Amino acid sequence: MIKVEGLYHSYSKDDNFALKDVNFEVANGEIFGFLGPSGAGKSTTQGILVGLLQLQKGNVSVAGYDIKNISRKMFNKIGMSFEQSNVYSKMTAKENLSFYSRLFDVETRDPLELIDLVGLKGKENIKTEEFSKGMKHRLTFARSMINNPSMWFLDEPTTGLDPAIAADIKDIIKERNNKGVTVFLTTHNMYIADELCDRVAFIVDGEIKLIDSPKNLKLQYGEKLVEVEYAQNGDVKKECFSTIIQKDKDTLSKIIDDKEILTMHTKEATLEEIFIKVTGRGLI
Amino acid sequence: MKLLSSIKKELILASRGFYFYVELLFALVILAVLLFAIPQNFSHITTEYLYFNLPQQGKEIFINNILEDDPDAKSEMAEIEAGGKTFDAELIVTDESKIYIVDSEETVRILADSEKNLGAVIELNENNQLYYKYYLQGYESTRFKNLISILFNESTEVLEDRINNQEVRPLSTAYEPLTDRENTIPPLIAFSGGLMGMFIMASYIFLDKKEGVIEAYAVTPSSVWKYLMSKIFVILLTSAVSGLVIIMPVMGLRINYGLLLMLLLATGFFASTLGLLIASFYDNIMKAFGVIYLLFFILMVPCIAYFIPGWDPVWVKIIPTYPMLQGFKEIILSNGDIVYPLIASTGFLAAGIVLFFITNIRFKKTLSV
Repeated sequence: MIKVEGLYHSYSKDDNFALKDVNFEVANGEIFGFLGPSGAGKSTTQGILVGLLQLQKGNVSVAGYDIKNISRKMFNKIGMSFEQSNVYSKMTAKENLSFYSRLFDVETRDPLELIDLVGLKGKENIKTEEFSKGMKHRLTFARSMINNPSMWFLDEPTTGLDPAIAADIKDIIKERNNKGVTVFLTTHNMYIADELCDRVAFIVDGEIKLIDSPKNLKLQYGEKLVEVEYAQNGDVKKECFSTIIQKDKDTLSKIIDDKEILTMHTKEATLEEIFIKVTGRGLI
Repeated sequence: MKLLSSIKKELILASRGFYFYVELLFALVILAVLLFAIPQNFSHITTEYLYFNLPQQGKEIFINNILEDDPDAKSEMAEIEAGGKTFDAELIVTDESKIYIVDSEETVRILADSEKNLGAVIELNENNQLYYKYYLQGYESTRFKNLISILFNESTEVLEDRINNQEVRPLSTAYEPLTDRENTIPPLIAFSGGLMGMFIMASYIFLDKKEGVIEAYAVTPSSVWKYLMSKIFVILLTSAVSGLVIIMPVMGLRINYGLLLMLLLATGFFASTLGLLIASFYDNIMKAFGVIYLLFFILMVPCIAYFIPGWDPVWVKIIPTYPMLQGFKEIILSNGDIVYPLIASTGFLAAGIVLFFITNIRFKKTLSV
């Protein structure tokens, strides 16, 4: 669905590269997370993939289209949700979506249905200049689905949203992905990436440092320990056991059988911890 | 379909925005100025102060000569207040001037100084010949000064005789000059329709850039040229409406409105593509303001040539507003040249197409995340 080979980009058109030899592939139906701190090159990569930035060096194909000779037809298959909400402030939510729906050559979704889907029901006839930042962001997200895209680019889709709305947005992403939509997710939020992505790429200073699934990364970089809290003689005891050493495994098994377990956690590393370990950089 | 949808969207945005009403309001203000502030014809009557330091008989000859140009052939007594004083004078009003005859050279000097008008003293020199002394304001041209220096080398009878026998052959007898009010229309139309269109087009683009909607449009199958053309359509509409708002009440049904609309649309198209091109180089209106201001200044220069026909250098003629002004003038002239506005319209349309082509390439390249 997406194939990137030897991608370079320089805004100053010299050797000061914002992207350096970026290579990756995204398979059909996959949710691919592009993770990195601000200025790492995430938005530049996404800009090139959707044709907003000119391809300078490298080979890029998206949804079967070569980005070197971009065809407007490609955008019938693509949806793009921007980090900065960008809707017409003088138009209502419904007018915004209706306008964009008429720009596609494929069957589009009902604007009212999408407005309802992102929790803006009842606000369809209000000009977006009266919307909060979060509401505008949801409308921008809704617009990206107007053409039923098979390739969906999401740039920080939950930024600035309250947890309940963010959870709804994540559910929509999962639901679309279950129907076969490929998702290219750009974020610096590791929890969302962990929850949604099949694979993630860590990008720092324009270079991809690592690509793997969150599960593999945790297995590779996490400590293989289980932390248990249990009740004993009226006290609460807390112990750590290795999941590799046989003696620890036996003891843990005995505690599970004989004691009242209060809490039990695997001591796996978070994606953020792994990112810092791999790149030596934080995510902000 | 996509183009129509974009045009509909632009019309909604324009009707709810600020600039659309600014242009219409501006047209109404211009109309009000034309109808109520600019007279049908400006007054060309000059005011002069004369003192005849001559024997009574000589003075009467001069006054009688002047009275021949007065429609009622009568003078009247008048009082002139100047510099906190009141001066008595004999007033003769002709078609071209108001002549005050005062009783001393000192009064002529004071009035010429305080009222900023021409003053003259007519007297006899030691050879008993007429001697003219003028009080000028200092800004008169050398040509004018030379003229009054040689004017009295001949007797007034000889001069008058030669003027009366001068053969004048009009090149076009069907030519009917515009009134001063009508003559003011072409620069106002060029400014409100053309130049304002350029500025408003740039403003529309900068507004879209600020809201980021250009990028959202860029990831749809619709072409960039349709986006640009929909904006141009709104500018053409407002240019045509504002142009008609200004012209119709003044000119009525005396002009060819088909020709006028053609030139209004062609100049509006050219100006809006110029606005698009400027907007393609900058992120916001503040950064573009210097260039827009400079361009405004350059495009206004032909207005000077328009109002001062004697100043008409070749380089002014290549500034686009020059043919704009001349084209509009030919349309409102009762026997104007039809070919000139047609050629001008074709030229502006062709230039607009070239600019649109360049702008389309620029916008495709400069869309950024």
